[in-house]
Amino acid sequence: MNERKETAGKDRAAFHGGGFRLASYYWQRMARNRLAIFGLAFIIFLALVAIAGPFFTPDPTEVDFEAKNMPPVGFTITQSVYDIKTDQFITTRVSGTWKHPLGTDRKGRDMLAMIVSGARVSLQVGLLATGIAIIIGTIIGVMSAYLGGWIDNALMRFTDVMMTFPFFLLLVLIVFIFGPSLAFIVLAIGLTGWTGTARLVRSESLSLRTREFVMAAKALGASDGRVVFRHLIPNVISLIIVIATLSIPGVILAEAALSFIGLGDPTVPSWGIILEEGQHSLTTAWWVAVEPGIMLLLTVLAFNFLGDGLRDAFDPKSNV
Amino acid sequence: MKKKAAIIACAALAVICLVSGGVYLARTAGVKAPGEIKVKGIFIEGQSGGDAETLNWILAADATSFSYVGHTLDSLATYDNDFNIQLRCLAKDIEVSPDGLVYTLTIRDDLRWSNGSPVTAEDYVYTLKNLMFSDWLNYPYKGDWQEEVNGEKVFVTPEVVNETTFTITRKTVYPEFVYTLYDLTPYPKYIAQKYEGDAEAFMRAPEFNNLSYTGNLGPYRFKEWNRNDRFVVERNPDYYLGKDVGAPYFEQYIIKLFGTSATRQAALEAGDITYTSIEPEQVIKFKGLRHIKVYTVPTSGYTILAYNQRANGWEGLKHKEVRQALSMAINKYGITQNILLGFAEPAFSFIPKVSPWYTEEGIVKYGVDALYDKQKAAEILYQLGYGVRQADGSIKVTDKDGKLLQLVLVVNVGSKPAEDMAFFIRKELLSLGIETEIKLVPWPTLLRGYVMNAVPGSKQEPAYNNGPEAVSQERWDFILMGFGTDPLAPSGSHVFFTTDGGLNFMGFSNPKVDELFARAKSKEALDKTVRQQVYAQLSRLLSEEQPVNFLAFHRANRGFQKNVMGIEPGVNMGYNYHLWYFE
Amino acid sequence: MRKGWLRDYILKRLLYSLIIAWGILTVTFILVRVGPSSPADKYLANIAARGQDPSQVIAAIEARYGLDKPVLQQYGEYIFNLLRGNWGWSLSTSMPVIELIKHHWIYSFQLILLSSLFAAIIGILIGIYSAVKQYTKADYAFTFLSFIGISIPNFWLGVMLILVFSVKLGLFKTYYDTTLPLFSLANLKALTLPVITLGTGMLAAYVRYTRSAMLDNLRKPFVTTARAKGLPEHIVIGKHVFRNALLPLVTIIMFDLGSIVFGGAYLTEIVFGIPGLGQVSFNAIFANDYPVVVAITLIGTLVVLLVNLVTDIAYTYLDPRIRYE
Repeated sequence: MNERKETAGKDRAAFHGGGFRLASYYWQRMARNRLAIFGLAFIIFLALVAIAGPFFTPDPTEVDFEAKNMPPVGFTITQSVYDIKTDQFITTRVSGTWKHPLGTDRKGRDMLAMIVSGARVSLQVGLLATGIAIIIGTIIGVMSAYLGGWIDNALMRFTDVMMTFPFFLLLVLIVFIFGPSLAFIVLAIGLTGWTGTARLVRSESLSLRTREFVMAAKALGASDGRVVFRHLIPNVISLIIVIATLSIPGVILAEAALSFIGLGDPTVPSWGIILEEGQHSLTTAWWVAVEPGIMLLLTVLAFNFLGDGLRDAFDPKSNV
Repeated sequence: MKKKAAIIACAALAVICLVSGGVYLARTAGVKAPGEIKVKGIFIEGQSGGDAETLNWILAADATSFSYVGHTLDSLATYDNDFNIQLRCLAKDIEVSPDGLVYTLTIRDDLRWSNGSPVTAEDYVYTLKNLMFSDWLNYPYKGDWQEEVNGEKVFVTPEVVNETTFTITRKTVYPEFVYTLYDLTPYPKYIAQKYEGDAEAFMRAPEFNNLSYTGNLGPYRFKEWNRNDRFVVERNPDYYLGKDVGAPYFEQYIIKLFGTSATRQAALEAGDITYTSIEPEQVIKFKGLRHIKVYTVPTSGYTILAYNQRANGWEGLKHKEVRQALSMAINKYGITQNILLGFAEPAFSFIPKVSPWYTEEGIVKYGVDALYDKQKAAEILYQLGYGVRQADGSIKVTDKDGKLLQLVLVVNVGSKPAEDMAFFIRKELLSLGIETEIKLVPWPTLLRGYVMNAVPGSKQEPAYNNGPEAVSQERWDFILMGFGTDPLAPSGSHVFFTTDGGLNFMGFSNPKVDELFARAKSKEALDKTVRQQVYAQLSRLLSEEQPVNFLAFHRANRGFQKNVMGIEPGVNMGYNYHLWYFE
Repeated sequence: MRKGWLRDYILKRLLYSLIIAWGILTVTFILVRVGPSSPADKYLANIAARGQDPSQVIAAIEARYGLDKPVLQQYGEYIFNLLRGNWGWSLSTSMPVIELIKHHWIYSFQLILLSSLFAAIIGILIGIYSAVKQYTKADYAFTFLSFIGISIPNFWLGVMLILVFSVKLGLFKTYYDTTLPLFSLANLKALTLPVITLGTGMLAAYVRYTRSAMLDNLRKPFVTTARAKGLPEHIVIGKHVFRNALLPLVTIIMFDLGSIVFGGAYLTEIVFGIPGLGQVSFNAIFANDYPVVVAITLIGTLVVLLVNLVTDIAYTYLDPRIRYE
């Protein structure tokens, strides 16, 4: 265990000398992991879709009740409307068209456009909430490690309370009480999800604090702020990147789960919201639930691949 | 009382109910069962609208609680599908004195509590006087039994005449009070006395929470209530209506709760449950299944689009002509066919089609046929000054200053059909040039932010109608929601449409409407033909005034396993459920 | 001597757990009670259709829920009652809170227990296999599948399983039947889909943890020594490597328990209609029934704290070198 920290530490110490050289070294290590490269490629693709996609797809809020529940291209289904006067069903067979390659939902909205705008929402949620959590976690972790003493004690006890708090229940409680707006959901996830980061950053910083270059900086009279921002934080950054990458999928899933139980923001079509919609018409329009489900699965998978690859790349002793 | 709750469950919450599948089953007497029916099987009803709150029904405010208790405890009377009175605990129909003030009720003499003692008029009067009217118990629906005398709310006066007869005396005439009476159910005095004055003890009383007092008063007896899972009652061999015919014919009746409507319907398809309600999209599939029967029945629920006529709504909505023009631009068949898939009919006024008081005579039918005409709507609005003529000769509807009209439509999140309707309406209005922002909000937000109102600057507690000067916290122009009218006593809808009605949140005011509602509750309305005329006038007036845009009356679909016999499809199809049986 | 420090440690930890529990109780209580929603909200439609003035009905309902008292007084009364062992009365289900929990804990417990067992046994076996056969096709396949297992949203998986196995194939009931006897094959069968739904994510995670813990140890010198001594491979793997890998594994499994109790288990209960504590507490949230919400949060927290403590103590026996301060 000790030996492993040494090596890792050396790697990080080198960060000061040549950030670029180091980055390219890590990149090479990661590039050997094909799954991680797939993950990265998919995330880049998704980001492009989220940024540029909406310019190429129709307005996702545009409803068209004449073209509701259209199946994806290549599928044909039967639709029916009940006629009260004759007590008969008027049945029509509907096939998917290229106008709506992924079909339409019960409001006749284009599924492709919804999936694309959902990608934007889900990525935003994932990045923002994780960002909040990481920032809080890092601040608490570094402060705790650097300041030590009763502050460390108090902060860690607080972290313990938050950690023991049933995360999902807390989330549901907060969102139910303050209303399901996306901003609030992001904030709630961020404010409740920082505990793991704080602990990991603290323990990493603790081991760094006693290392030579930090000691040296202190001996040379560097201020506390300078030590923290120039030496501690840059050296835990690789750890933070890994934690961030690995916690984004959790956040995306948490938002989807909230939506699934009816606590999502109904005005913003995230994948979770679309999935919840599809849940109601599973047997009549299966694609509405299946498509966002697959996108969720792929996105979470991609982040997990990437996070795993990053962890292995930063940690030379791990096993790919 | 349970009966009324039933109508309400399907009516007021109609839109919400579409996803819940909660159905109430009322009951009947007198129908002779065909000779050779055997008692067998377990009937399982699937619901997904959430569990009941309590079996101690006097404390309950939710319809589900009443519907659970109703399996073990009959009310005084109920109605069949045509709203004919079906006596239950009553020996004969309620007698009303010629002046409309004294009601004489005679109950059957064969009703027994679980300890064998007879249910008497004293029990009923005790329940009213000492429980419902008391200060210590907090019965939520006290208002049913109060009348206004000289500006003060006072309770009606119940009085025991003999073992089986009691009277209730009012000071003011209210012809439809009789329907409140039909719903009355008693608490056993011999048990309730023990807890009198102690609300906490009453609430926790095991006898009431286990329904262990119900004797022969219902077709079933309480067996088990596993919260969030199932409510189980078992056949009551002593049921007073079952003596001659051997009813009921199911060993047990179970209400099984599901987390989602999808799993609830899947359970019916898989044969795991006997009965549940079917959503419009699924009907064709279930009608095609060989082991399922689906009945399409009318309900008394309808959806409305409320127009904000208060100070914080678009100023145009205060004018009848503007409201009419907007209603003219929204295609009601588009809603009933495209969104509700045919399981609805266009609505034009507040009395549901199933009601005995319903009339089409003279009703103005906005939103269908000749009165669905966007061009004409635009023309009217233009004439009133709300629009500009564009280069190509077409009219763009605007506000008074010729600026773009942007309106806010608020709808409760969670009801898919309601959401769909909101989007449909936005599209219709867009073709007039009106932009609509749809706000999907949770129920508490809808109530507190948009529906409740108070006079700005005053210290008023927000309420649903704080007078004509009051406005809601947030600005809104339209609210889409489910309304319900009691089919037998439409005068109850005065809360929505009279100037000081407790739920007139849209700020509608018309002296003629106020007067007609007052007449429907007055002495002259004791004469049914007069009441019929009053309601016909009200229907016409409201269809013309458009305080809200009445959109559609809903139809429900009830799916049963095919081997259930004895069902009479209709609006109150559960009224004779104790005579249903398995083939 | 050893016992002395352990007893002090346990006492300290217990006290500390109590403080955490009190903190969580207070936060939950405040959260539930500060919300703008009222238990009367959902009855508005009912009230309206009866043609009643809402204010009167709302007042009656709020009085019944005790909302007419100041929050601080309610909090004080709640704590006072709790200290006397009185968990209060659940207004949304009309029974004592403690009875409610007694009735429903078993549904959650059996689901979580079976899922954990299922995930741990299969996950650890696959993990060991994967590690031993590192870089083979089977290893790659399992690694890939475990990634999918971790990434699949479990509520979505549950819905898909019902669609395929219950509706289309008719192999299982569409809902969990609570009337089945606890220890019966039928009950086990009824729990199959829920256990798969809840267990898949855990299983995949255990595969990955086991694999990497095993690989960590496979490279250690003592393995080479053991092999050099001529010990059969299954003894080397089973006795030496696995035993050393077990400690980090137990930590992770125990740690996971807390998050599944309230996250995955609740969603699984919803999908399959299992009336466990998850469902009870969430329904209570929606019904503003604070005694239930607070009680279940508190009990869940205490269970997690207790499990953590037991795990820590177990360590001292698994690895005598460990000593806590």
